Amino acid sequence: MLALGLAGALATGAMLGPYPLSPVDVADTLIGHPPDPQAAIVLWNIRLPRVVAAALIGAALAAAGAAYQTVFRNPLVAPDILGVSQGAGFGAVLGILLGLPVLAIQLMGFAFGIGTIALVMAIALALRGMGQVLVVVLCGMAVAALAGAGISLVKLMADPDDQLPAITFWLMGSLAGIKQADVAAALPAIVAGLLPLIALRWRIGLLALGDDEARTLGVEAGRLRLLVILSATLVTAAAVSVAGVIGWVGLMVPHMARLITGPRFDRLLPVALAMGAALMVLVDAAARCIAQQEVPLGILTAVLGGPVFLWLLARGGRTWAE
Amino acid sequence: MRRLRLTALVAGALALAAAAALAAETHTITDATGRQIEVPNDPRRVFAAGPPAATLLYTLKPDAMVGWPRAPGAEDLPFLRPETRDLPALGRLTGKGDTVNLEVLLSARPDLIVDYGTVTATYRDLARRVQAQTGTPYALIDGSLPTIPATLRRLGDLLAEPERGGTLAAYAEATFAEIDAILAAVPEDRRPSVYLARGPEGIETAARGSINAEIIDRVGGRNVVGAGPDGLLTVSPEQVQAWAPEVIVTIDADFAAHVSAMPEWQGVPAVRDGQVYLAPSAPFGFIDSPPSVNRLIGLKWLAEKLYPEEARIDIEAEVTRFYTLFYGVTPDRAALDGLLGTAGHPGE
Amino acid sequence: MGRVTPLVEARGLAVGHGGRALLEEVGLGLHRGRILCLLGPNGVGKTTLFRTLLGLMPPLGGAVFLGGRPLSDLSRAEIAQRLAYVPQTLTTPFAWRALDLVLMGAAARLGPFARPGAAEIARAEAALALLGIDDLGPVEITRLSGGQRQMVLIARAIAQGAEAVAMDEPTASLDFANRIRVGKAIRGLAARGIGVLLCTHDPDQAADLGDEAVLIEPGGVLAAGPAAEVMTAARMTRLYDIPVRRDSLPGGRLHFSGPSGRGDEGPVAGTSAGQNV
Repeated sequence: MLALGLAGALATGAMLGPYPLSPVDVADTLIGHPPDPQAAIVLWNIRLPRVVAAALIGAALAAAGAAYQTVFRNPLVAPDILGVSQGAGFGAVLGILLGLPVLAIQLMGFAFGIGTIALVMAIALALRGMGQVLVVVLCGMAVAALAGAGISLVKLMADPDDQLPAITFWLMGSLAGIKQADVAAALPAIVAGLLPLIALRWRIGLLALGDDEARTLGVEAGRLRLLVILSATLVTAAAVSVAGVIGWVGLMVPHMARLITGPRFDRLLPVALAMGAALMVLVDAAARCIAQQEVPLGILTAVLGGPVFLWLLARGGRTWAE
Repeated sequence: MRRLRLTALVAGALALAAAAALAAETHTITDATGRQIEVPNDPRRVFAAGPPAATLLYTLKPDAMVGWPRAPGAEDLPFLRPETRDLPALGRLTGKGDTVNLEVLLSARPDLIVDYGTVTATYRDLARRVQAQTGTPYALIDGSLPTIPATLRRLGDLLAEPERGGTLAAYAEATFAEIDAILAAVPEDRRPSVYLARGPEGIETAARGSINAEIIDRVGGRNVVGAGPDGLLTVSPEQVQAWAPEVIVTIDADFAAHVSAMPEWQGVPAVRDGQVYLAPSAPFGFIDSPPSVNRLIGLKWLAEKLYPEEARIDIEAEVTRFYTLFYGVTPDRAALDGLLGTAGHPGE
Repeated sequence: MGRVTPLVEARGLAVGHGGRALLEEVGLGLHRGRILCLLGPNGVGKTTLFRTLLGLMPPLGGAVFLGGRPLSDLSRAEIAQRLAYVPQTLTTPFAWRALDLVLMGAAARLGPFARPGAAEIARAEAALALLGIDDLGPVEITRLSGGQRQMVLIARAIAQGAEAVAMDEPTASLDFANRIRVGKAIRGLAARGIGVLLCTHDPDQAADLGDEAVLIEPGGVLAAGPAAEVMTAARMTRLYDIPVRRDSLPGGRLHFSGPSGRGDEGPVAGTSAGQNV
């Protein structure tokens, strides 16, 4: 069912776009008989990398959200909670301000995202120790606020005619400029982050009980949580550095997935991965088809995510206690 | 900051000396918003509210400038009059990123504020508010392309430089006439489709009728981006593929250098046929940035690119003439090469 | 008794936070099939002692032994295989199914990348059946009563397969009937040969369930030994700093009461809250 849904979303994503290609054209091109050479260029160089990137980023953000919600034992946290998104955003925006090439901008975003989490953890350790979930979250919020201030400062310093529109657009998230090289650059980091989450998926669920309880069950809770946070952060930073800041997916998709699977992380993760991928592919298809102009993904996910989240809240108690 | 303060101090002393004499000599004009404002007969210190106004002011009366909205870049300096190169960056009153501090504005002691650009209720209210707060007359001038000759004359009069205003206006009128003559020789179906590419990825652009792409419309290029919102917008490479523009004009050197190797731009007619042109940008852009009188030379440059046969424009001579007349700087051989040499495209 | 190796043993244990000892020279031993109750006023350091015994915090002095091996030599999984833990309440924010929660007991015996399989599921179902709550398996814990949740946690401790179980006030938030049910389940554990370390605020429960009792006063152990012998009225009076009266009810059970809430006429049997419910 799930695989079918994901396949359907991917197929839809491959069919839709401003360049006129009929489903038959797309199918012919895929099997190596393009109706004309331009169809092959559009499909292989532009549309498919974009569909793949969307799937990858949607899956990454959803997995990171599910992991954060589990290890922080808080259904309302998302990849932005530790300042990762803001930190990565600050790095990338700084790259735009400095006029760096695209790859360097992505690297800056990635490095700053990882740097943010390192800073959050260092502060949390110095204050109280990583075991204190609230301390970690509050440190994350404080560092996120700092990164937000940095972003505002960069926006103020940016050339309003040239750089500011690019920065603003980037901050709202987009896959408009995605290419094969971007997918190739983000893929190793996303896979490297997802692997530990997938391999340890049952054990990670036990962290939802709280440190003491998990430890008495035989889980090295502190170490495992650190590994999960680092993995989820790696995945988030890689996604943000390629696609900009796309909100809501990391918060909303795990909840939707939990409606199907319940809280067991080993069941939740695959469903969240598939749902995140499918959702992002469809949202991105909408982003390039609604108008001649690209609609930022962040706007679409917020328009979708807000109501869905409120609906989930109204259902309350079904996926989380209290 | 120190330079700013020093300039302000010197300027302040000068202004004080002149103030008594000037205060008495004013007259009343009606600006583009219909506001009656009392302006000095001979404004000596003029604050430009944004980059378009600054460029206009620079061409008409450079010695009345009190500062730049943004500091000119190193690549711009050789093309600017020496006495304006070190003017302080004061920030801007209008447009995105309102950065000027009214106290900084006042410490520059302007006797007139000039804004040049779109006339809307927002800008009218801004003008009214700033004038009330600073006690300095604030004139807003309509900034569309066709009104450039009239604007040059009007502002020339306002700045007590009617002769210079007339000369520049005559050049602008001649330019428009020249473009019209060329267009008369080029039937509609031979006018190419054009895409304006901005940003390192080339996916920022501007719609038909927007101020950023206005000169493409004026030289008869068919902007592939249909009518849309004013200002910049972002599109996908796939959308550009669907549009299949015959000519790409870009203001981004990075994009111009790499587009022929970028996989998502393969097969776009302009890229395939080597019709990607990088617009010069020093000291002011040829296409927009800012959308001011600098676009006059852009019109000729673009006409020459779009209709190399009909236009018959010696672009080097034209640039030399325009820069000398408008910017007060005559570019030498090396400067010209630097300016136009980068305009080469992969096909050349 | 001294010849048998205790399941859980503390020798000269000092516990506390940040180098400041709350309790010193604590000694205790928990044996197979026995229930050992910890009694003491609030804030005396029972929880800290509990956490130290579970290896959740390091001792300030002395040592804890599980099955004769020093706790400090054991890995987290090895500790969990020897000593299970039943918390006072369940604090997870997610709506787990009861069976999934019981399945977690398998973590100590599974490798890091393993997921519970058919064998673990059978164990978990058996643990639920043992407590007579096998019908609760597929139910989400958010739909369970407090008593049912406590029973699910006890089932998890059974599924964990440890010979000793530590319980931190397992009946504190339960109503009368559920207290009795959980009490029975605790006795059932002991009957199966499991040693139970029970931290409780209810002297009646301690006397009823406990084979041994350890009375903890500020600074250390007041007394330790067979529950009925240790829990004298005099010691309980000293422990809780209020006059405590001890009565033997028909059937031999002990009942402890303090001054009546209605007045200051002193401890009178039959007027305390515990008696009235």
